Amino acid sequence: MEIQEILILLLTCSGVFFAVVAAIGLVRLPDVYTRTHSASKSETFGAVLTLTAVAITFGGDLSTLKTVLLLVFMFLTNPTAAHAIVRAAADQGIEPWTTEEEES
Amino acid sequence: MVVGVTDLRLLVPVSESVTLRNTVAYAIRHALERTDETEGAATIHFVYPLSERPTLDPKSEETTVADTLLDRVTVWTEEDIEDDAERVTIDTAVIGTEEYLFSPVDYANALVRYARTHDLDVAVFDPEFSPLGTTPLLPPLEAEVRKAGLDVEEAPVQRERRSPPLVRRGTVTQFLALFGVSYLFYLLLAGSLETYDLVTGAISASVVSVALWQVSLTSPVRPVRAGKQLGRLALYLPYLLWEIVKGSLHIAYVVLHPELPIDPKVVEFDAAVWSSLSITTFANSITLIPGTLTVDVSQRRFTVHALTPTTYEDLLEGSLERAVRFVFYGREATEIPTPRERMNDGDENT
Repeated sequence: MEIQEILILLLTCSGVFFAVVAAIGLVRLPDVYTRTHSASKSETFGAVLTLTAVAITFGGDLSTLKTVLLLVFMFLTNPTAAHAIVRAAADQGIEPWTTEEEES
Repeated sequence: MVVGVTDLRLLVPVSESVTLRNTVAYAIRHALERTDETEGAATIHFVYPLSERPTLDPKSEETTVADTLLDRVTVWTEEDIEDDAERVTIDTAVIGTEEYLFSPVDYANALVRYARTHDLDVAVFDPEFSPLGTTPLLPPLEAEVRKAGLDVEEAPVQRERRSPPLVRRGTVTQFLALFGVSYLFYLLLAGSLETYDLVTGAISASVVSVALWQVSLTSPVRPVRAGKQLGRLALYLPYLLWEIVKGSLHIAYVVLHPELPIDPKVVEFDAAVWSSLSITTFANSITLIPGTLTVDVSQRRFTVHALTPTTYEDLLEGSLERAVRFVFYGREATEIPTPRERMNDGDENT
C-alpha cells in the first residue's frame, strides 16, 4: 500500500469514528442543548475528515478544489444551523439540563 | 431655570444626510414659533448615535466624523437663531459610544435613554436619517421611539427625489470587489478558461453584482485593510482547526466514557469584539469548537452553552477571542484582558 492509500484509509476511518461518536452522543446525552453539541460538532469533524480523504483521493485536480469548497461551506453553515436550533430552544424557554437536577 | 409645562424640549438625532440642514432649520423655526406663542423656553438637543466601535481607539474615525458634523450643526443653529439666543438652548452630544448599535431597537433604546436623562419629550427625525447606510432604518425606529412614550415628528422638509437604488450608494470598489469575487468563483467551478466560460462567467458575475452590490457589502471596501485581514485569517484558520481537533477528541472521550462526565453550564460574558463581521466570526467559531455553543448574541453580550468544565474554562481564558481580535484589528488588539479578568474587574467595581 502506498502512503497515500494509508492516509485515505486512516482519514476515512477516523471520519466514521467521529460520526459514530456523534450518533452515540445523540442517544446518550440528556437534553436538546447537549445533543446539539454532539450532533453538530462531532458530526462536522467527521465530515471534515471524510471530505479530506475524498480530496486526497481525487489527487489534486479540480474536484479536489471543489471538495475544499464544500468544506468551507460546511464550516459556515453547520455552526449557523446549530445556533439556530439552540436559539429556538432558548426562545421556547427550555431550561438547560444541569448536574444538580439529576441529584435532586 | 425652572422647566415649565409649556417648555418645548426636542431631541433631534442627526447623521450625514442631504436634508439635515433643512431639518435643523425646521427644528429651530418650530422652537421659535412655539416660544413666541407660549413665552416659554425651548431646548433642542442634537445627538449623533455612533453605529459601531470599529477600533479600540476612543478617537476613532467615526467619532471624528460625528464631532465635525455636530460642529456644523452648531454653526447652523447660530445662523438660524440670530438674536433669540436666550429663548432657545442648544446642546449637542454623541451617544452610543459604549455600545454597539445595530438594529432599530438598539438605536431607539439609546435615543430614548438619552431623552429620559435630559427630560426631552419630542423627537424630531430627519426624513433621510440613516446611520446604517444602505439599510432602511427610520420607520421601525420611529415606531420603537413612539412605543417608548416620546412624541415623534418627522421634519416636513423637501425630500430629495429618490434616485433609483442602483446608483444610490455604494462605491465603484465595492462593485468591482463583488464582480471580481463572483467571476473568480464562477471560473473556479467551471474549471476552464475557454471563451465560452469567460463570456458566460462575465455575464453571470455582472448579473450578480448589479443585483446585489447594495446588499452584500454594507461598508466601503478598503482593499489594503481587507487584504491584511485576509492574511491574518489565513493564520487563524490552522489555529481554529487545531482547536476543533482538540475539542472533538475531548468530546469523543466524554461521550464514550461510561459515566458520561458532563457538567453543562450556560456562561454569559461581554465579548471584546466590535463590528458585526467580527462578532459573527467569533460566534461561529465558538459554535464550531466542540463543547461550546453560542445560544444568543445581543449586541456584545454572548450567551454560550458549554458542555464540560474544561470547555468553558478554555472559553473564559479568551485565547479564541484574542485570535478573532487579531484577525480583525491586528496585533495591538490582542493585549486586551481575557473575559475572566474583565469579569473580575466588574465584580470589584460593583
